[in-house]
Parts: sequence; C-alpha cells; structure tokens
Amino acid sequence: MTKKVKSLAEQALFASAIFILFLLLFESRIVVPAWVQSIGRMHPLFLHFPIVILLLAMAMELFRFNAANSTNEFYRDFLTNLLLVGLLSAGITVIMGLFLSKEDGYSGQVLQWHKWTGVLLFYLSCFIYWSRTKSWYKAPLAKSTAILTVFLLVGAGHYGAVLTHGDDFISGPIMKQTEAEPVALDQAMVYKDVIKPIFEQKCVSCHNPEKLKGQLSMATEEALLKGGKSGKLFKPGDPKASLLLQRIHLSEEDKKHMPPKGKTQLTTDEMTLLALWVKGRPDFNEKVIDLPPSDSLRQLASSRFKSADPVQEIYRFAAADEEAVQKLNNDYRTIAPLAKGSPALAVNLYNQSTYSAEKLQELSDIKSQIVSLNLNKLPVKDADLKTISQFENLQRLDLNFTDVTGQNLKELARLPHLKSLTLSGTKVTYAHLQNQIRDFKSLQTVALWETKLTPSEIQQLQKAHKNITFIAGFKDDGSNPLTLNPPEIKNPSMVFDQSLALALHHPIKGVQIRYTTDGTEPDSIHSPVFNNKTVLTDRTTIKAKAYKDGWYGSSVATFDFFKSAYKPDSIILLQPLNRVHQADGPKSFFDRKLGTFNANSPAWANNWTGVRNNDMVVVSEFKKPITASSVALRIMIEEATGIFPPATVEVWGGTSPDQMKLLSTVKPKMPAKGDEHSLTNVTCTFKPQTVACLKVVAKPCTLPEWHGGKGKPGLVLVDEMFIN
Amino acid sequence: MEKEILEHGFNFNRRRFLSRLSLGLGSAALGSLMIPDLFGGNSTDEEGFTPGIPHFAPKAKRVIYLFQNGAPSQQELFDYKPKLREMLGQEIPPSVRGNQRLTGMTANQSSFPLVGSFVDFKQYGQSRAWVSDLFPYTAKIVDDLCIVKSMYTEAINHDPALTFLQTGSQQGNRPSMGAWLSYGLGNENKNLPNFTVLLSRGVGNGQGVYSKLWSNGFLDSIHQGVQFSKGEDPVLYLRDPEGMDRHARRDMLDNLAKLNDMAYQEFGDPEITAKVKQYEMAYRMQTAVPEVMDLSKEPDDIVKLYGPDCLVPGTYAANCLLARKLSENGVRFVQLYHQGWDQHGNLPFEIAKQAKDVDQASAALVTDLKQRGLLDETLVIWGGEFGRTSYTQGKLTADNYGRDHHPRCFTIWMAGGGIKPGMVYGETDELGYNIAQNPVHVHDFQATVLHQLGLNHEKLIFKHLGRRYRLTDVSGKVVRDIIA
Repeated sequence: MTKKVKSLAEQALFASAIFILFLLLFESRIVVPAWVQSIGRMHPLFLHFPIVILLLAMAMELFRFNAANSTNEFYRDFLTNLLLVGLLSAGITVIMGLFLSKEDGYSGQVLQWHKWTGVLLFYLSCFIYWSRTKSWYKAPLAKSTAILTVFLLVGAGHYGAVLTHGDDFISGPIMKQTEAEPVALDQAMVYKDVIKPIFEQKCVSCHNPEKLKGQLSMATEEALLKGGKSGKLFKPGDPKASLLLQRIHLSEEDKKHMPPKGKTQLTTDEMTLLALWVKGRPDFNEKVIDLPPSDSLRQLASSRFKSADPVQEIYRFAAADEEAVQKLNNDYRTIAPLAKGSPALAVNLYNQSTYSAEKLQELSDIKSQIVSLNLNKLPVKDADLKTISQFENLQRLDLNFTDVTGQNLKELARLPHLKSLTLSGTKVTYAHLQNQIRDFKSLQTVALWETKLTPSEIQQLQKAHKNITFIAGFKDDGSNPLTLNPPEIKNPSMVFDQSLALALHHPIKGVQIRYTTDGTEPDSIHSPVFNNKTVLTDRTTIKAKAYKDGWYGSSVATFDFFKSAYKPDSIILLQPLNRVHQADGPKSFFDRKLGTFNANSPAWANNWTGVRNNDMVVVSEFKKPITASSVALRIMIEEATGIFPPATVEVWGGTSPDQMKLLSTVKPKMPAKGDEHSLTNVTCTFKPQTVACLKVVAKPCTLPEWHGGKGKPGLVLVDEMFIN
Repeated sequence: MEKEILEHGFNFNRRRFLSRLSLGLGSAALGSLMIPDLFGGNSTDEEGFTPGIPHFAPKAKRVIYLFQNGAPSQQELFDYKPKLREMLGQEIPPSVRGNQRLTGMTANQSSFPLVGSFVDFKQYGQSRAWVSDLFPYTAKIVDDLCIVKSMYTEAINHDPALTFLQTGSQQGNRPSMGAWLSYGLGNENKNLPNFTVLLSRGVGNGQGVYSKLWSNGFLDSIHQGVQFSKGEDPVLYLRDPEGMDRHARRDMLDNLAKLNDMAYQEFGDPEITAKVKQYEMAYRMQTAVPEVMDLSKEPDDIVKLYGPDCLVPGTYAANCLLARKLSENGVRFVQLYHQGWDQHGNLPFEIAKQAKDVDQASAALVTDLKQRGLLDETLVIWGGEFGRTSYTQGKLTADNYGRDHHPRCFTIWMAGGGIKPGMVYGETDELGYNIAQNPVHVHDFQATVLHQLGLNHEKLIFKHLGRRYRLTDVSGKVVRDIIA
C-alpha cells in the first residue's frame, strides 16, 4: 500500500468512527430513507469480511513480538495493512447494521447485545490500530487486547446469528426435538393445546419479543391481548371485525396477508379454529371438554388430538420372535407386521381347502402380537373361537361367510381390545347377539349383512347398544325393481346344417325366458317358456325376453338362425374381392361366422367380403352331388355409406363346371333414402336340382339419383351363403 | 455355508465391486455425513425401508381405483355451476380463461361460448353435496364419499394425463401406482397377483388404454399389473394344456424343481430360486383364480345391488363386483378402466348413457365393502384423467354441445380407507374454470393415497440408473384436510 492510499484509508476510518458515534447518539431521531435501507440490508452479507480479516489480524497480532516476526518487514507491513482493511470493513458493517436495526421487526435484548458488542469491537480494534506502534504498547497488553477482540468478535457474531436464524439453529438438529407428549382430550386446554400450537408453528417465528414484526408479539397471552402497530388483534365475539382473522383471510398475494407468502400457510382447519375461538370470546383457561359436545370448536379440536401426523398406535407388548413369524408364514397364511418396527401383526388366512382348526392353533406362539385376523370365507367353526380368544391383543376379527353360528360368541368377549367384528353371511341370529354382545368391552362395529337378522332386529340392537355401530347393509325389499338384461345365446354359431338345439341363457339365477318363433314379441303369459328342449330345423328368428319376480321384464332379444344344409368341398372366386373387404377369402362364405354392424369391431373386417367394381362370382363344388332348391346370400344394407344390395343375383348350377345353366335370377329390393341399416338375406329359389357345382353371381348396383354417390357402383357386402 | 459363499461370489460382480469400493473410500472420508441421523437417533433413511413393510401403520390395506377413462365432465356430474346456465352462449371472459393452452381441437375455434349442464343437480345426504340427476345411486351414498372438486393436472391430452396419474410422469416407463404399492406393501394373499387390472368399455367416445399403464417400470416384474379378462381364460397362459391333469402338473413341477435345485447348487444364481417361486405361484393361482372369477355363488341381493349387468362378463358392473372379490381376497391394488368418457361433441346424449353404465355399480361397490366391514381398510377412488371445459367445443345448439379437455380442474371422489366421509373438498370458481380453493395436484393426490397405505411418498424410493425415483417425482404433499 502506498503511503497516499494508506493515509486516505486512515482518514476514512476516522470519519466512520465519528459517523458511528453520531449514529449512536442520535439514533432515536434518525429516519432512514429507502435507498439507505437497501444498504442496511447488506449487513448480513458484508459482515463476513471483518470477521475473517480481523480474526486473521488478531492471530498475527498475538505472535507479533516473537523474535522471528518482529524483525520480519513483510510480516509487519502485511499485518498493519490487514488490520486497516479489517477495520474499514468493520466500520462499514457497523454502519450498515445500525441502519438495519432501524427497520421494523428488530428489537429486544438480543439486538442490544449484538449492537453493543459490535460497536465495542469496532472501537477496541481502532484503539489497537492507533496505539500498537506506541512504545508503551508492550507484548502482554497487545496479547490481551487481541484476545479480548476475538471474544467480542465471537460474541457479536453469535448474537447476530441468533437474530437471523433463531436461538437453537445449530443445536437444533442434534437436540432431538422432544415431541410434545400427546395430550389426552380430557386434559386439553383450548388455548394452550389447540390455539397456542397454531401460533407457535405459524406466527411466533416473526412475532416474538425479539423480532416484533409489526410491533406485535404473539408469544405470550398478555402480548396477544395488547396487539401490535395496527391495533388490537381481535374483537372478542366478532371474528369478522378482528384483525387476526382479517389478515389471515386476505388473498395470499396481498402484502398484508398473514402468514406472508412463502411461509407455511394456515390450513383450513386452523383458520376455522381461530375464527371459532375468537367468536367464543377468547379465553385462556378453558378446557376443551368444558365446551358443549355440539360445539364446533370442540368437535374440530378433538379431532386434532387423535389425528395429527400418522398417529402410530402404541403397542405395549413385545415383538414376536422373527424366526417364529417366518416359520408360521406360508402360502396360505400371511403374517406381516403392521409397520416397520411395530410389534403388532396382521394375519390373513386363505383357501378353504387347506384350512383346518390347527392353522389357528399353530398361531399360539404369536398370540399376544396378533391385532388383526382375517378368516373370511373359511370354514371356521364355533369351537375355533376359543382358540381366537387367546389372541389377547386382537382388535379386528373378520369372520364373514364362515361357519360360525354365533352360539358362543361370548368367547370373543374375553378379548379386551376387540373393536371390529365382521359376521356378514354367517348364521348368527338375533338371540345370539342380544344375549352376548353386552359382554364385549371395546367393540365399535359389527357387520351383520346377509345374516338371519331382520332390519328391525338390527335396529333394536342398535338402540340397545349405542356405542356399537351395527352394519345392516343392502337388503332388497322389492321397493325398487330393476329391469333385467335380455337373454343371451350360448350356441357357438347361428348357422346349422340339419337341426340345432336352441341354447338360450340368462346370467341371473331363476330367470324365466319366454320366446317366440313367429316374429311376434314374446309376453309373460302366452309365450312358451324356454326349457332347453327346443330344436330348430329351419331358418328361424327367435325373439326372447327374460322375466323374474321382483324385476321388470327385459327388452326383446332377437336371434336369427340360419340353416345351411350343404357345405361345398371347394370354393373358388372367379373375380377379385375389394382390397379392403377380403375377410377370410372364399372360405368366408361358408365359415358359419356372421358379421355385424360397426366397422370398428373385429367381427366386421373378419367376416364381410365385398365387391364394388366387378361382380362377385363364387363357384362351389361338391364331390358328391347334392339336391338343392335354394341359395341365400346374407348381405348388409347401409344406405348412408353406400352399401347396397346387388342389382341382380344369379344362381347357376350343373353336374360339372362347364355344364351349368341359369337356375334363378333375383333382383333384391333397393333401400329408400334414409332407411336404417339392416342385415338381410337374398334368397334364390328354384326347382330341386341335383348339382355338383353351383355358381353365384352378384352384380353391384348403380347408386340411384338421390344418393350422394349417384352413378357410381354400390358396395356389395356378403358374409355367408346358405345352400338348402 | 458353502452355498452362501458361492452366492456371494455371484452377487459380487465387477460393477458392484467398483461401486462398493468407491462408497467404502467415500464413507471412510465422509464419516457421519453419509448417515445424516447418526447423532439424532431414529434412523429413517431410505436404506431403512424394507420392501413389503409400510413405513407406518396404514389406514387402508387395499385400493380399488375405478378409472373413468376419457375424462368425465365434472360440470354434468358433481361440480354444480348455475352461473354457467345463466351465461349460456356468452363468451368466456378472457380474465377467466387467462393464457391457458388449448388442445388442437378447440385452439382454432373463433368463439368460446359458455354452456351449463343440461341436467339438474340436487343436494344429498348430511354433507349436502351437489350431485347431478345422472348419478341417482351415487347420490345416495354421498355421506360415504369425499368428493374432491379441485384436482388439477399438467397434461392436456389423454395418454400423457392418464400416464401422469398412474405413474407420476407423463412419459411412461415408470412403475404404475399399483406396482409401487405392491413393492411397498407386499402380498397379502400369496395365491393371487398383488396388482390386477380389469377393462371395460362404455358406449361413449372411447380412448385407448395400454398395458404400459400397469407396468412395473424399473421395479421387479412381480409387481406388474396382471390383466384379468372376460371369457374362458381370465389370466392368459394359466390353464393346463389339454390332457394334463393337476397331478401331472404337480409331478412336473416337482421334478422341474429338483432339476432347478441342482442348477442352483452348481451356480448359486438367485434368479433360479425366483423362477421356481413363480412356477409355484402360478400353480396356486390355477385354483385361486377360478374361485375368484366364479360369480355364480353371489347372493341375489348382490345382483340387485350391482345391477343385472354384474353377471355379464366384461361389463363395468361385472368388473366392480370382481374388484370387490379380488380385494376381499387380499389383492392390494385393483385397477379398473372404463372407457368412453371423451365427450367432445354430442355430450348430453353420450354422457347420460355413460353415467348410467357406471353409477349403480360404483355406488354398489362402496356399499358392498361397507356391509362386509371392509370399507375402512379399502380405499375406493373414482375419477378420470382431467376435466372438461366450461365452454362448448363445436357448435352450441338448443339441445347439444360438447366439451374439450380441461386440466385446470376436475372432480374425483374417494371413499373408505381412512379418508373423511361425507366431505366436499376444494372449490372451483363460479364458472367452473379455475380452482378457487384448496387445489390438489396429481402428486398431492398420489402422496395422499400412499399415505393412507402407510407409505411416506418421500421415502418410497427406488434407485434406478443412478437416480432415486418416487411415484410423486420431486413434489406432492399429503392433503391432510381430507384424512379422517
């Protein structure tokens, strides 16, 4: 450092010493302008320089008088300069700090300690700087002042840290925060255990006697009553007029919203609790249970006592031997701890055929640890309840659809902790329950659906035992009949050669299916009842409906059955099919699989063969000549998409391919504009003929004038042919 | 002992050696930094997690997720907005719409007229929750439901939104929620898969459902969802081939196990024992699955409760009934998908049929679980992947309109499993477009579901490709307000 720079720096140091003195003297009269506030706020950033530099300088100062160092020119100059720079930065830091302390939210004892240790540190080091070269400034004095400076440095730094981070910032993670002992509901105080914890979690970190944001402290009852800069916190009995509630209900974007944006917000429950508390005239010495049971504050508050974070039920028994548990675990019996580290075990048994009473007896090794046991749908007998009654810590027992009759339910009454018992689908009766249920000590719910108990008996039980919930479940009382779904068909194909046993089916037990074969709608009186004996021998349309007591009859289901007496030995297409309507090639015509509407369904693409730009010419040959009198084509008609019947269908027949004559020509009826889509047969009949070869020619029509695609050929779709 | 040494050798390959080595050096240097709670006691690091054992005692042991695929319109079902009817045909105010991105289907629409529900709403139960007339059965059980009206998501199209809800990521390849639960909770019944999937299709406009949605991702393949389909083979490849009886199968498995054991003695590869276990499970499933799938023993009251379709395989009602049976048999996660809720147009007509399809059976499932005393430990979830817009897509006519995708708010309900019953949580603004109160992000929802099953979503972690993965990715907080 040149001399000039050094003297400039020294002057600056002197000036800041004076300025600091001035600030200290006239502190109360100073108003800090905004731009200076920003400078003040750099205090926490800047303070690191003086700490480090002064520490280093003081360390060097300690050893300045050592023989080796005292003659070292570099050591001397470096130390002087270091001290000067450290002092300057300390001065700036103190000035910034004094500005910052003028801001809202800093007050209290810690601030005073921080301020005065800081100031003292600054002046002490100034003193060192200016006196250290004097002849009376000897080694002992230098060492003691250096050490004192370090102490002040540490002190000021510590108090500053407490101001920013809070009291136990560093020790916090080590000192395991002692979880507040859960308060029992009958001990809980409205203010101390409900309201105060909310303040402590969400408010007090800023509104405390040290930080006093908005000149408000919420740490003590007196301070709460006193309020802050903007007035009293609440108007007893009137939450809407209370500042506390107003602030927390402002929009989160609002500057005055509390807690400020970015801090942990109050939950809805907490806001409601505060409002209810203020409404009920804040009282600091009221117990939760002193409030009437219907009081909303009491209800909301009491739920907090049991439901804070995952409340682990505390089990007072020891864990079972891990190996024993492992040994008892098998494919049909699962034993697992409720949670990591929990001694409580849940046991589930499955599979009727492997169950026996021993499977329960084997559990005696872990009888104290079982808290839940699931035996649903297993053949558990009454005698097994005795085994179960040894599981002293059992809380939940599932016996739905077991063979338990209820005779000795009292065995289970010996279980002091049993809370939930399910008996749905068992043979228990009202008498059993009425006699034995009062012996149960902690029972809370009993499931009784699908038992012999009538709804009114369950109601009587409920009346007699108010602390237990009896679950009755759904029982159809016939007041709300539903419509049955229509019958289904179980025959694998709708096409048959000589005869077919009709297989109508309904998934619901006890349903009566009535049907007609003449195309009329079946009714519940006259139409024959389906009895699995109906045999079809010819093309038939079955209409069927399902009926059952207590249900509305179903809608009509229509099934078309087709007879196709002969299946050709070979099928040849003489002209190609459309590229996108190939289905399964020529085989498709006699595969007994029918197509449907809805082009997205696989049954569409797999079954419909089609032509548009050429005729469909199918030649069928038979090794053994047959006697035929009709050929039918099943076609689709969908006017809207241009799927039309063929203009003409010709059937040719003969004993060999080159000796065929025309047997029949049919011109199918064309659809009219707007007709619904339909599936129909084009049937060509002729005098009975003995043929070995049949040729079917279907010519696409020309779309009519009214159609959008007029003049173009219509698409012909055929899924099956029937030869009779 | 010899075998253990052998096994150890197998497990100790080069990669593991190197990673162990670096960790060893590192841990020597870093000391307690590696174990954050060394001095705090009560170690809760991820290594402390044992797959199959929950972090804390769960409220719910099982989940049934009734996924309404395609995004049901909240405006016609749960989120009653009379203001929308008043403002019928008026343009949605730009202040409400904000700068939300729209789908390619409505982005070019010149106007966005508001449209209210064509169907009326009423209040039901003690909770006085609003439910539309399309859901008469659901309306009867509102006091068992927690209706969350303020769900929101990040995705705007079906597949990413669906994948996001199921796996916590829009891109897929991550484990599905069911797989995570299977990993976290383990089997309750060792004779059935832990995670099963059931599909059905309604009459409405449908959207695809792909098996990636029930993927195990990077978790062990035993956590993958197993689809149960209708028809003769509900689980594929489970049936013995023709001519092979149960005894022959048993003999075959026993002999195969002997051979495998020889191989294991020689090589010590743990994959061999894993394989043997899987064969055995398949063998047990051969009897367990037909038993579960058999609906013929269900009492008449059940048929009345779920509706007549419940005995027609492949319908939503049948799947609900099956879900109850699977869940009752200890299956941890039963995932249903019901397609057909994508009403871009023709909404009034389609949604009515779609609602009729699911209403009775969904409500029945809740009632049925309750009457067996199972609802308190089974969490039932009903909902889609996002919501639908308050304005119409396409032309607004006197009796017809449509609604586009809307990720900013949608409604789901949850029942049982320790969720507060009879509650309506969250509110949307009066036009049903933005959330006014208590937003619930998809990750919040997932965190809450995991929490109910005794799992801390921040600690249910699987390390894969050098990164620690969670279902909730890096966010999500448990919605404590809806926990009973």
